[in-house]
Amino acid sequence: MADGTITIDGREVPFEKGQTIIKAAYKAGIDIPHYCWHPGLSAPANCRMCLVDVEPPPGRGKMMLDILEYDKELGDYVPAKKPKLQPACQMACADGMVVHSDGSDDVKRARAAVQELLLLNHPVDCPICDQAGECDLQDYWLEHQRTGKRMHQEPVHKPKGVVFGETIVYDGERCIMCTRCIRVSAEVAQDPVLDMRQRGNRNEIIVSQGRELDHDYSLMTEHVCPVGALTSNHFRFKARVWFLRTGRSVCQGCATGCNAYLDYDPRDNKPYRYRPRDNEEVNGYWMCDAGMLSYPEAYEGRLLHAHVGGDDATVPEAIDAAKRQLEGHAGGSSAGGKTTVVLSARHSLEDNFALAFVAKRFMGIDEVYVARRPDGDEDDILIHKDKNPNSAGVAKVCELLELGEPKTFSQLVAAIGDGLIDHVISLGSEIDSDEAEARAALKQLKGYVAICTHEGVMSDAAQIALPACSWAEVRGTYINAKGHAQKTDAVLEKYGESFPGWQLAAALGRALGYKIDWRGRADLEQAMLEADAPPTPEAPPEEDAEAPAQGAES
Amino acid sequence: MEPLDVELEDGELELPTDPMLLNMGPSHPAMHGTVRIVVELSGETINKADVQIGYLHRGFEKMCERGSWTQVFPYVDRLNYASPMLNNVGFALAVEKMLGVTVPERCQHYRVLLGELARICDHLVCSGAMAMELGAFTPFLYFIKARDMIWDIFEEETGARLTNSFGRVGGMADEPSPNFKEMVRTTIPAVVDLITDGENLLLENRIFLDRLEDVGIIAREDAVALGWSGVVLRSTGANYDVRKHHPYMTYDRYDFDVPVGQKGDNYDRFMCRQAEIKQSARIIEQALDMMADEGPVNVDDPRIILPPKEQVYNTIEGTIQHFKIVMEGIKVPAGECYSYTESGNGELGFYMVSDGSGTPWRLRIRPPSFASTAGLEEMITGMMIPDIVPTFGSINMIGGECDH
Repeated sequence: MADGTITIDGREVPFEKGQTIIKAAYKAGIDIPHYCWHPGLSAPANCRMCLVDVEPPPGRGKMMLDILEYDKELGDYVPAKKPKLQPACQMACADGMVVHSDGSDDVKRARAAVQELLLLNHPVDCPICDQAGECDLQDYWLEHQRTGKRMHQEPVHKPKGVVFGETIVYDGERCIMCTRCIRVSAEVAQDPVLDMRQRGNRNEIIVSQGRELDHDYSLMTEHVCPVGALTSNHFRFKARVWFLRTGRSVCQGCATGCNAYLDYDPRDNKPYRYRPRDNEEVNGYWMCDAGMLSYPEAYEGRLLHAHVGGDDATVPEAIDAAKRQLEGHAGGSSAGGKTTVVLSARHSLEDNFALAFVAKRFMGIDEVYVARRPDGDEDDILIHKDKNPNSAGVAKVCELLELGEPKTFSQLVAAIGDGLIDHVISLGSEIDSDEAEARAALKQLKGYVAICTHEGVMSDAAQIALPACSWAEVRGTYINAKGHAQKTDAVLEKYGESFPGWQLAAALGRALGYKIDWRGRADLEQAMLEADAPPTPEAPPEEDAEAPAQGAES
Repeated sequence: MEPLDVELEDGELELPTDPMLLNMGPSHPAMHGTVRIVVELSGETINKADVQIGYLHRGFEKMCERGSWTQVFPYVDRLNYASPMLNNVGFALAVEKMLGVTVPERCQHYRVLLGELARICDHLVCSGAMAMELGAFTPFLYFIKARDMIWDIFEEETGARLTNSFGRVGGMADEPSPNFKEMVRTTIPAVVDLITDGENLLLENRIFLDRLEDVGIIAREDAVALGWSGVVLRSTGANYDVRKHHPYMTYDRYDFDVPVGQKGDNYDRFMCRQAEIKQSARIIEQALDMMADEGPVNVDDPRIILPPKEQVYNTIEGTIQHFKIVMEGIKVPAGECYSYTESGNGELGFYMVSDGSGTPWRLRIRPPSFASTAGLEEMITGMMIPDIVPTFGSINMIGGECDH
């Protein structure tokens, strides 16, 4: 709750105790120009761009500085006074404080001077710089400086193309020494591997001796860089940002479910990078390197066409073949059959619900299995050991449809070996058990229909494989390890002949003669809501403004 | 010999009496810029006429909604392609109105000079083509020769003879070349001489006069009701010229007359055009005297004007300025405006809406030809087929602006 208000350019702005002026302004949507300040980092106040004029407390005089000012008419410097400005990123708010930002000529002059200083030795790099188009130097020049070069000496040259590590290349000449990258390493990654050396216009960022910039958050140094000093190897010279469009997505790399923007080029329908999307509840302002580099999964190794018995087929043909294969064997254990379904912790809640719904309501299947990517590394920052974005979602679906705890893939392999199962419909492309064993077991099945986004052991072993859309092409809900249900946008156009997984599951059910009358997403969401009624007390909180748990937004 | 109709009862001729439908255009030498007139004929008399425009439609207004404000200039060049410079200036003034900037005086005179030169070209093409279609080929050649002399000036100043794309928001693409004034001063008397020679060949020619006088008359009230402007309106006696009545740039500082006609027939329209050429020449003389030889042409605002190339290539400030203007476009404040100028054919208006970005959100043009072409049907109904040619010629329909 607000602990008081300050006034910025005549506008009342509430603040919490201990907040700085810039943070209070940021929360209120007022932009005070800044380079070194970042809402997720400490404030060193070294760029001086956020200087504001703060009125003194009542009863005290304003602190004025003696300066020499150039008088054009006299052609000489004359003594003058100007107020001592304060960095808004370090000055804490006090109730009733009066701040002049855009409204003060002194502040405007200071900003122009800071901007001119930062550009003094800046190279003429915009045409070859990846940051061009989203560079604070460019934006602030137009907003706050607008003057040409006055210094005509040769600029100071510094190292260019310095390899900091596998992911990052550093350009000393473009660097404005905001130290955000140093602070990200120290404060976010907890690995103070970067520092600066020299001073003044010889200042530069360096990596600790004997080290490389190789911590798990190295790409965040590039993300926070307000200029083009740090560039990431994967994005370097790949795209110009003004050609990219963006969509809201959720990282599929682990159960943390970091919020991200997926930037793509509409001309080739290909994603080019992730950028973290601020969400204080989930990932703050950050993402890990593995997550940042997971965007190529949207197009690499995709299953783009259906196949039946190893031969290419259209999706309707494949569904027809699946019908012939499963007809008469489609009963689950409670119907006296040996058929089961495999859900996927890598697919959305919608896909899993659709398949589980068909299995439970129509096929009489009471036990399901789950396919998932094997566990991996973890840390106590963002990286979760569960490498699947929707494990909690699968659990939720099973709970809603009373399917019990989903069994693991190795249990499925064992059950096939014991002859308990002879027909399988599966969702997902990755498994966490031994691949050779799994392949052998799946090959024994009399009928196997796999809905896959990617090629892999499941699409290989399947007698009928159906191509599903990846997370980037269709809207979906993913429940992360903390229980936040988060929605993604349909960012890309559909690849190949793929369809959303839930549509394939529904089409399969319809082909088998079940009455599934979902005409569109809204009907599916309605079915999910009905399955959820009465709402369970453990329903995930609606944390993310744009991602209500099971909202009927269509 | 027996009379031919001896077997016909009551002298009745068995001739077809159904009216005949005839297409003039869209590809007809007299239908400048592809327009189609479907005429219903009774003999050679026009019972009904249907003027169909749209053959030059290229989605001008929609095109402008992509790209930046500056990138509209080549499009407006192709509105009235007989006088692109007037369109350039008209569009630049509209954007400047939204931005709230005024270009330096030197630029205003320069714009007037280039604009009036373009106006002379526009009128020469119209009058010359009309005369040629009536059989007078020589005056056409005289007029086109005069136009080419002016085009030489344009080529020298802008690098292009026809589609100059020389206007810029906040100024011009370049300042006047050093020998611009001298070129104009020597060219204009020669141009006027040529035009006088051409007129002398026409104005005492009975055939030419017969096809112009009392043909294609329109009443002043009708012309006003149709929204006519420019020469075609003034030929009816209405004295309305945007340059005089709503002066823009430095037009209020020149001494010039607005020629008006009396009857609104083809002859009046022809003579108004010819008289206007002389007035344009007067304006040009005065503007040449008033335009300073030194001084800025462009406004001094880095948000609007591109930096000199040497700064772009050598300083980061120049690079950034160039980048912001070229990649994002000039940021025009959110709002809307209507801005209008006197183009070759009359009031050329631009109505534009900005959302504050570097791209027009909506741009609508009010082309003078559109209104004048709307009156054609009424003018030619009841006339003979050959009257279509001078009448259509004298309203100077330009497809590029009409089909917007």
